[in-house]
Order: sequence, then C-alpha cells, then structure tokens
Amino acid sequence: MDTNKFLFFFKDMQTSSYALQLVEVEKQFGDVRAVDNVSLEVKKGEFFALLGPSGSGKTTLLRIIAGLESAGKGSVFIGGKNVTKNPPYARGIGMVFQDFLLFPHKTVGENIAFPLKMKKMSATHQQEQLSWVLDLVRMKGYEDRFPNQLSGGQKQRVALARGLVARPDILLLDEPLANLDRELRKEMEVEMRRFQAEIDIPFVYVTHNQEEALTLSNRIAVMKDGHFEQVGDKLELYDEPATAFVASFLGLNNTISGEVLRQENDFSFIDWKGIELKIPTPNGIKPGDRIAYYLRSEKMHINPHGKSNPVDGSITLTAVLRDIIFKGQYSDYFVILDNDEEMVISDVPDIESLKIGGKVDVSWLPSSGFSFAADGEE
Amino acid sequence: MASINHQASALKTGQVVLLVLLYIFLYFPLLFITYDSFVHNIIWPFPPEWTLEWYQKLLGMSDFHAGLKNSFYIGLFTAIPATLFSTAAVIGLLKYRTRWRGGMILLYISPLFVPGLLIGISTLMFNANVMGMSGKLISAIIANTTEDIAFSFLVILAQLVRYDWRMDEAAMVFGATPAQVFWEVTLPTIWPAILGAFLVSFILAFNNLEISYYNLGAIPTLPTIAWGSLRHGIKPELFALATVINMLVFSAIAGLFFLIQTGMVRFGYRGE
Ligand SMILES: Nc1ncnc2c1ncn2[C@@H]1O[C@H](COP(=O)(O)OP(=O)(O)OP(=O)(O)O)[C@@H](O)[C@H]1O
Ligand SMILES: [Mg+2]
Repeated sequence: MDTNKFLFFFKDMQTSSYALQLVEVEKQFGDVRAVDNVSLEVKKGEFFALLGPSGSGKTTLLRIIAGLESAGKGSVFIGGKNVTKNPPYARGIGMVFQDFLLFPHKTVGENIAFPLKMKKMSATHQQEQLSWVLDLVRMKGYEDRFPNQLSGGQKQRVALARGLVARPDILLLDEPLANLDRELRKEMEVEMRRFQAEIDIPFVYVTHNQEEALTLSNRIAVMKDGHFEQVGDKLELYDEPATAFVASFLGLNNTISGEVLRQENDFSFIDWKGIELKIPTPNGIKPGDRIAYYLRSEKMHINPHGKSNPVDGSITLTAVLRDIIFKGQYSDYFVILDNDEEMVISDVPDIESLKIGGKVDVSWLPSSGFSFAADGEE
Repeated sequence: MASINHQASALKTGQVVLLVLLYIFLYFPLLFITYDSFVHNIIWPFPPEWTLEWYQKLLGMSDFHAGLKNSFYIGLFTAIPATLFSTAAVIGLLKYRTRWRGGMILLYISPLFVPGLLIGISTLMFNANVMGMSGKLISAIIANTTEDIAFSFLVILAQLVRYDWRMDEAAMVFGATPAQVFWEVTLPTIWPAILGAFLVSFILAFNNLEISYYNLGAIPTLPTIAWGSLRHGIKPELFALATVINMLVFSAIAGLFFLIQTGMVRFGYRGE
C-alpha cells in the first residue's frame, strides 16, 4: 500500500467518526458574508444546537449542509463522505423546515413515505418504516388525512416523521418550533428529546431561542455575523461564556459597563456611573480601559435593608425595590440602585418583608459574573 | 336604527340592480342570437315561430365541416406549444431570480400589445417571403402561438406566483432528482393553472379571426366562414354558427366548473 493511499484511508477513518464535519466553510451574498470560515464536528448521536440572533447565518449554514446552497469555500462531510459537490438528493440527510413545507396534495402517509419512495424502497419495506415512524411521533391513524386537516402540532410531527423515516445520517432542523404557540412548544421540546434519544440520529437544531437550545441540546454553537463565537458543551457555555456576546445571548440579564479605575490581585475596580464596583479582571485589561460585566440574576440575592447576611467576599449595594414578578419557584425583583441604574434579581419569594418601594440590600459574589473588554458599544 | 337599516337595504337593492344590468349588458346580445337562431321570423322574432332550418342550412354549407375541423386543429396545435412554452417560461422566471426579470416578463407579454391584425400581416409576410409557406394551416398555428404564449404566460404567472418553491427544495432534500421533483411535487400542485392556460389558448386560437385570416388564404375556419358570409349580408345560418361556437366554448367552461364544484379539480395552489 503506498503512503498516499494509506493517508487517504486514514483521513477517511478519522472523518467517519463524525456524523457531520464542516471544514472552513464560507458563503458570500454580495457584500454580506453570511457564513464566515466555519468549522464544525458533530458526533454520532449528538443533539447539536446552532444558536444565534436573526441574520447571523444559521439558515444559510444549514442550507449549505443540505446542499441547497453551494459553499463558496470549504468542504462538507456527512457520514464520513465528502459531499461538498453532491446535490441535495445525494447527501443522505433529513430536514425539518420552519414552516413544515408538507406537500399539500399528498396525504400524511404519502408525505412521510416520500423519502422512501424516492429511494425506490419496496412497498412492504415502506409500510414497515412508515408504521415505525408513525408510532414514534404518535400519529397512527392520521395516514389518510391531508396536511390542511391537521393542527400545527400535528403538522410538526408529520414534518419530523418525514425527516426521520429514511433514517438519515443526520437530521437538520431549522427553527422547527418557531411557529408553534408556547404551550405546544414546551410539549414538543420534550418530544424532540425523546425522538432523538430513541433513534440515535444526530440532530443539528437551529434556533434563536437560548432557552430552547439549553433545554434540548448536548452541545451548542453560538453564531454571530456568520462566524462561531463559541462552540462547546452547553454547561460550559452557560458557566464560562467566552465572549461578551455569548454572555449576553445566554441570558445574563444584568449588564454593567464602566471604566477600570485600579487593579488589585485578580480583581479590578470600575466606575459604574458613580458606584465603585469590584469585578474579575478580564484578560489584558489595564486601568483606563472600558469593560462590560455580565451578572446572572439568579446568582444574586435580595434582602430587606440592613437584614442581609452575605457570604464572605460578597458585594452589597443598597437599592429601592421597584417591582416584583412572581414566577412560582422564584420571583424576579426589579430594583433601582443609588446611581439610578436598574437591575433584576431572581430570588426566593418573600412577600413578608419585601415590599415595593421599600429599601433593599442587593448582594452577589464578584466572581459569579463575567467581564470582558467592552467593544465600543455601551 | 331604522334609518340605518333602511339605507343599508336601499344600498343592497341598488347593488343588485347594477349587477343585473351588468349581466344583461354582457349576455343579452349572445342570448338574443341564440334565441334568434331557433326561430323562422328572424327580423322581428316575437312571437317566435320555432324552427331548426338554420341549423340544417349550416350543416349543408360546404365549408362548415372543413371550417370546424380547421378551427379545432388551430386551437389544439396552438394551445399545446403555447402552454408548454409559457409553463417553462414562468417556472424558469420564478425559480431562477434574475434582475432582468421585469424586462423578461415584458418581452413575454408584449405580443398582447401588438394588434392581432399586425401579427397576422407580419407573420404572413415572414412566413411567405422568408419561410416560403403561405396559405398553410401551420402558418396560422405559428402566428396564433405567438399571441397565445403571451396569454397563457399571464394566466400561469398569476397562479404560480403563489407557489412556494421551497416545496421543491424540500423534495430534493428528501432524495428527489429534479425530474422527480417536477412530476411528484411541482406538476401535481400547478396543473390546474396549466390546464386553465391550455383552455384559454385553445379558445382564443379556435375563435381567432384577424391573426389567422391572412395566414390561411383559402383555407376555411369557423370565424373566416362567418366573416366571409357576412359580406353577402347577414344570413340566419350565421346565427346558428355563432350559437354552435358559443355552445362549444360554454360547455368547455361549464365542464370545468362542474369539475371544480365536485372537487375533482382544485384551481390554484392550496396552501396548508
Ligand atoms: N439568498 C440570499 N441572497 C442574499 N443574501 C442572503 C440570502 N440568504 C441570506 N442572505 C443574507 O445572509 C445573512 C444570513 O441569513 P440567514 O437567513 O442565514 O440568517 P438566520 O441566522 O437564519 O436568521 P433568522 O434567525 O432570521 O432566520 C443575512 O444577512 C441575509 O440577509
Ligand atoms: Mg433562518
């Protein structure tokens, strides 16, 4: 065996441990770089979420994977095979579209069996697969209905069934729950996880809803302006956001910005509109630089003024309680600090002693927040 | 309250009257000719003296059978290429976005703005002088196809702008080749628009006089027979001829209407 051939074989071996691999993929639309040098590996059986705001290039990336859009640069591997030049119908993928895109002239059964029919599978085999997937999505008995005779949630299940029926190497989902109401979305989130766990097909799931991404996935990529800001395990992203963008996008709801006054050990002291605040020092920051500091509301505590009993090293600020939103297990407390800035704190409900308009103490550990160099914007 | 109700009902009566007037305006001449074709006393047909003699005369006319056959051929062989071309044109135009789209649409429909007479004369000159085929049925068919591509283009475009081409993309992701996409997804959804365009093209070409006339020379069609015999004064057989043509067209439309009513045919793209 000559060396080249061996290396090639070896490379194939490596890629085939991934269900999906993207290598430096790029897509340009006129002046817009919709996808900018994206590399990604999705393992077999993984639930991978692509999270990003509107216009960040999520759909474009998904369409490149599906072959509906050609990549300007880079390669796409599916199931270990280089499919960069393959048309969509020769990629072995399944897809669930945002508005379902069921074929209106075909029945539910015909819609779901469509990928099997295209594969020229025998009728008995088709029937087997169909009944397996109808069981999975709990749509037995709806085979003869037309799509316009289904509710939103049922259409969603049919779209999912059609994506899964041919047991693709990978299932791509573009905001599949965005068109459903809140109740149904919660229910379908649970279902999605169940499907995925049961069939062991990797999901690449596009969403701009951080809660959905955190609930459903194993790993998350946060996308911004066509590139990945951070890729990693969901807890890793949640606990250690790498950039200010990731921090703000993953629900760190209190943003504090200010200029660094002085530094001591690993901490900096900043001027936050008149309040001097202790924060962890971001990399390469010196006095005079501007920084942004993100605090998660559930890492903070609120007590009536003078009654706080903070843990060692906590910061305590006084504030006025403006509003309380009861959420069940906890409440969201909106307070106004002495410098007229607002903060939200999620803490256990305490109707006894916390009254709107009353003075309160707000406390947190400086190390529970994340600080980054501010990129110009407030 | 009462006065508001009163006003509303007056408005409604007015609308009904207007509607009836409109229908009379549209259909009275046609109905009158139909009625007239069945009476003996055509000049002042009241009270009627029923007869079928005009139909017998029409059937006896030497040109009638040839004319009917020729009209049918012109209708059919114009409608087929016109529908095929315009379907392909609309699909191409909608599926592949280009900034020349507006200009291309204009080029497709511009035959509508050229008087039929001019199309007739210029295709005659072109066909006779350049192609060397004057006075042939095929010349008339080609000339009518020009105009009917434009008509059926509009008919199909009006329906297909509502078609969701992402449906085709979905089919492709699920393993359908472009040909399979067309047969499995596109055509089953858009065929009513294509059928509609076919019928419009057929009827237009079947009834056409001014484009066909110059290209046909001595070959008769129903409209040229009518036109020809008009020059010798109005003959009652013409009423019978007009009624026959109207009945043919009307039954085509009525048949279609029946299919729609019974749900055997759905027009337009029915979204989810
Ligand atoms: N066909 C196209 N032609 C030109 N620009 C495009 C095209 N498709 C997408 N874009 C641009 O590429 C960028 C990324 O779009 P994309 O649809 O991938 O975003 P997205 O992350 O899916 O957003 P959303 O959450 O709103 O669906 C946007 O700026 C968009 O305007
Ligand atoms: Mg999108």
